[in-house]
Amino acid sequence: MSSIRVPVVSADVAEPSTGRRARPAIGSHLFLVMLTLAFLSPVIWAVLSAFKPAAEIIRNPLTFDPSTFTLSNFTGMFADVPIASGFLNTAIVLIFKGSITLFCAPLAAYAFAKYDFPLKNLLFGTVLVTLMLPTIVLIIPLLLEMKELGWVNTYQALILPGSVDAFAIFWMRQVIASVPDELLDAARVDGCGEFGIFWRVVVPIIRPGLAGLAVLTVMNIYNDFVWPVVIASSDRLATLQVVLSTLAQNITGNKIGADYATITGELLAASAVALVPLLVIFIVLQKHFINGILAGSVKG
Amino acid sequence: MHLPQLRARRHNPAASHRPARWGLVAAAAALAIGLAGCGPSIGAGTSTADANKLQPTTASNPKGQITIWDRSGDLYKVFGAAIKDFNKKYPNIKVNHQAVDINAKLQNTLITGTDVPDGVFLDDSLVAGYSSYLWDLSDALKPYTADIAQQKIDVNSINGGLYGVPFDLDPGLLFYNKTALESVGIDATKIKTYDDLIAAAKQYKLAKPDSAPIHLEQSGYLGQLQLEMYASQLGTSMTDKKGKLRIDSPQYTQILSWLDTVQKGGLGTRAEYLSPSDIGALDSSNEVFYPWAIWFDFAPQQQLTTTKGDWRAMELPAWTNGGARSGAMGGSSFVLPKAGKNSKLALLFYEFLMFDKKGYTAVYGPNSVYPNGLNTSIPSYLPAANASKPLFGPVKEMGNQDLWKTAVTAGKQIPGGVPTPKWWAGAVDYLGANIQKMLDGTLTPRQVIDQSSKDIQTNLIDRQ
Amino acid sequence: MAPAPQRGPSRFPLRRRLAPYIFILPFIVIFAAFGVYPLLFTLQLSFTNWHGAETAQWVGWSNYAYLLTSPDFWASLGNSAVLWLLIIPIQLVIALLTAVLLNNAKLRFRGFYRIAFIVPFVTPLVAIAQIWIVLFDQHYGAVNGLLHLVGAPDIAWLTSSMWAKPTLALLFLWKTTGFIVIILLSGLQSIDSSIYEAASIDGATRARALWSMTIPLIRRTLMFAVVLQTLAVFQMFAEPYVVTKGGPYGSTTTAGLFLYNHITRADLGTGAANSLLLVAIVMLMSLGFVRLLRAKD
Repeated sequence: MSSIRVPVVSADVAEPSTGRRARPAIGSHLFLVMLTLAFLSPVIWAVLSAFKPAAEIIRNPLTFDPSTFTLSNFTGMFADVPIASGFLNTAIVLIFKGSITLFCAPLAAYAFAKYDFPLKNLLFGTVLVTLMLPTIVLIIPLLLEMKELGWVNTYQALILPGSVDAFAIFWMRQVIASVPDELLDAARVDGCGEFGIFWRVVVPIIRPGLAGLAVLTVMNIYNDFVWPVVIASSDRLATLQVVLSTLAQNITGNKIGADYATITGELLAASAVALVPLLVIFIVLQKHFINGILAGSVKG
Repeated sequence: MHLPQLRARRHNPAASHRPARWGLVAAAAALAIGLAGCGPSIGAGTSTADANKLQPTTASNPKGQITIWDRSGDLYKVFGAAIKDFNKKYPNIKVNHQAVDINAKLQNTLITGTDVPDGVFLDDSLVAGYSSYLWDLSDALKPYTADIAQQKIDVNSINGGLYGVPFDLDPGLLFYNKTALESVGIDATKIKTYDDLIAAAKQYKLAKPDSAPIHLEQSGYLGQLQLEMYASQLGTSMTDKKGKLRIDSPQYTQILSWLDTVQKGGLGTRAEYLSPSDIGALDSSNEVFYPWAIWFDFAPQQQLTTTKGDWRAMELPAWTNGGARSGAMGGSSFVLPKAGKNSKLALLFYEFLMFDKKGYTAVYGPNSVYPNGLNTSIPSYLPAANASKPLFGPVKEMGNQDLWKTAVTAGKQIPGGVPTPKWWAGAVDYLGANIQKMLDGTLTPRQVIDQSSKDIQTNLIDRQ
Repeated sequence: MAPAPQRGPSRFPLRRRLAPYIFILPFIVIFAAFGVYPLLFTLQLSFTNWHGAETAQWVGWSNYAYLLTSPDFWASLGNSAVLWLLIIPIQLVIALLTAVLLNNAKLRFRGFYRIAFIVPFVTPLVAIAQIWIVLFDQHYGAVNGLLHLVGAPDIAWLTSSMWAKPTLALLFLWKTTGFIVIILLSGLQSIDSSIYEAASIDGATRARALWSMTIPLIRRTLMFAVVLQTLAVFQMFAEPYVVTKGGPYGSTTTAGLFLYNHITRADLGTGAANSLLLVAIVMLMSLGFVRLLRAKD
């Protein structure tokens, strides 16, 4: 942590020595604008490239000639890969898996943060251990488990494993721990039931954290490809990321005899299409978790 | 492992007012060890040798559904188009054709044995690794084996069994920039040996000092694959038939020394296959010799601009006068998992695609994907690979060269091979990386051989 | 962690004593079935030489012995450690600064910034790999093109073992910093803004307020971010897999990619042992950070 030193804390990265208090906004904006450029320009490149002829993407990656504008990558991609059913499957998994995570994780985290019970530490320790376990190593054991359950190529196999991931519990426990115990005790005095305390006292207070969890859960589910690729071997169940990874194999493989240019074009088109819904979800959700609902709740 | 230490901390009074993190971690570990015996059982049944051999169907009107996995991209579309022709012959076999990320899925699907496809498109280098899950096709393909390129039979044969229907042959060719070479008075067709190639490269560099005429592959994987192409020319490979490592040989020493000479003489452009740097060097005529598999022809057809029509292909130079003028680089086959439901019907499908004139014409000849035919490999079935009866047409972007004839003639010279060891891709971390170190100038050819042999033996062969 | 209620639990009504069990029940069921059970299986697997097809044989500690004496295993850990150093300090500084700025309700365009910073996080990795290969090409990439403008020489970003790690670190920073900003923002959101009003009355500078008030108040969140990113860096495999394949010369073979390589080679026993060793190492590191941060209180 020694890397965070006091001077850095000023917003005025661009003008470290003078005018710090007089014009904070300009420095802040400069810093943010530069970051925005760094973050966005590669994606803008990718999206623009999706509208170039496929061979041009490799040949002249850094130019964009509007006269060569084409939708052929998109039409080719829609014709070649089941992207519509990919969206549908992703939406199904998102709704069910997301709901399970957003309900079970905060509730269990509440118990871990605010109650004492035997085996609590053991259980939480197990949560920590699985958090540290690389996902890829659980793939084979999970796969055999799915086989024994007869769940290979089913929605429940896409939804249930990972639906209460250790990360969500760990984070929610951190968030809920910061809720003052006095509030809970006061609610008890008012005759509130145990679940009522969670629902009517804790949840409103941690709403920003919950919205944050919602955003990350949605993104993780949306972007997850390791498990879906393995478990959904039929097209019927392929999620968006499975579709993308199928498309990308000629690039992530070793280009042996592959029609590299066409695939790159279609891949960028598919990525651009995949990006849109997630951005919409994020724009909708972010309002809920960044507008400082919290201060009022705690004081009230 | 760390348990004693963890337990000790648990009793540390200074920490006891905090939740005992160390302790609970230890307890969790202890629980896990205690319960370790409860995992699902692992293993598979054994089966007799004969039960592993697929027999052709005897049905007069075969019917049913087969699931076929293919790599996505152009080949998926080509095979997809050929299904229509297949159904003209076998109207009652429904083909469920899927584009699948095979490397990510096949191993797991075979382990679970659920929804296993009837046929899978697979890199030759991966066939041996999966052979215990696959049908031995030696009986079923008996009518054709005499007519299939020996190299393809060899890579698919393990302990007397044949585990794949050979698809394509990928002969190595010497691609060269004819226009650039002629402008300095070099006639590439006169190049007969790799020593001639170096001489021509020197001559080109003399005329164009900025150039580095010969491609030196910078990707560890493709560099190793290219090394195996050179080795295939000399009739050798990383292992012998029994899987014993044999890179400590005069052949490998010769190849590595040659690469080292090219690099030390400043005659090589080091770049990853068709990376922006590679394409830049090709298009500026600084890189004019490209010894590679036939599928390099994607470059003039799709990616090169200024030198697009300037490229031609010929047989590779020989390592010694009169030696073989080609070697195999890459290639794929179709495998049939034993757990497939309709393996016999899948066999009919592949027999049609590979050995029926209508089938292989549909694959290699003009089709909706490639109006001029599929020209990035040639058939491994010799009756289909007739030099005077081309399936794909001349390549416009290569000055209308009859690439079919060049490739088929070269393909016939490829010596036989041996099955690729299942750890082949893993060797890239050792042999592949060491070749790159040699090209950096930090290892000698001798050191590459010694270090790679040792590391491959310890980390790959001994751990099978 | 918040202090637990001081009184003994037995004095609570039955309802309150039962409540935590009911609350964790749905979690426990799913977690036991799809978290603990495969974990135990992994442990069992780590003592076998299973390759998927044949029957597994018990090999005792030999997988562990092989890994612990393998220079490649230690090299993969070393690669991850270097990446950690290249990534975590820079990421924390940038993310903290950004989060503090974005937490200011008076900042204009902050909705736009928030979205901009999260875009890399939601861009599919396979597209990012293509972007990186093109941007960082030694001779034709945009990055070296920009460096040319200031007279800097070409850098072999992806093809030299010296620069491949920084290039990979940049990719990881680019992709995940927006995520850390969200985490830190959610921590900042939980700070009652009235304490800043009080501080500004006292005449504290913004810098002082941040150092002496904000950081201590969100230290739990900071700790969380550090632990989380430590895990992510040590388990990282998809990023090097799609961009460098672990090369050149294994310089970007991270601990996660090394582990993944065992699995793709169907050397499942070694893979299991490798992942458990990785867990042990990462766990020790995480606990170390937790202590370090605690000590600073």
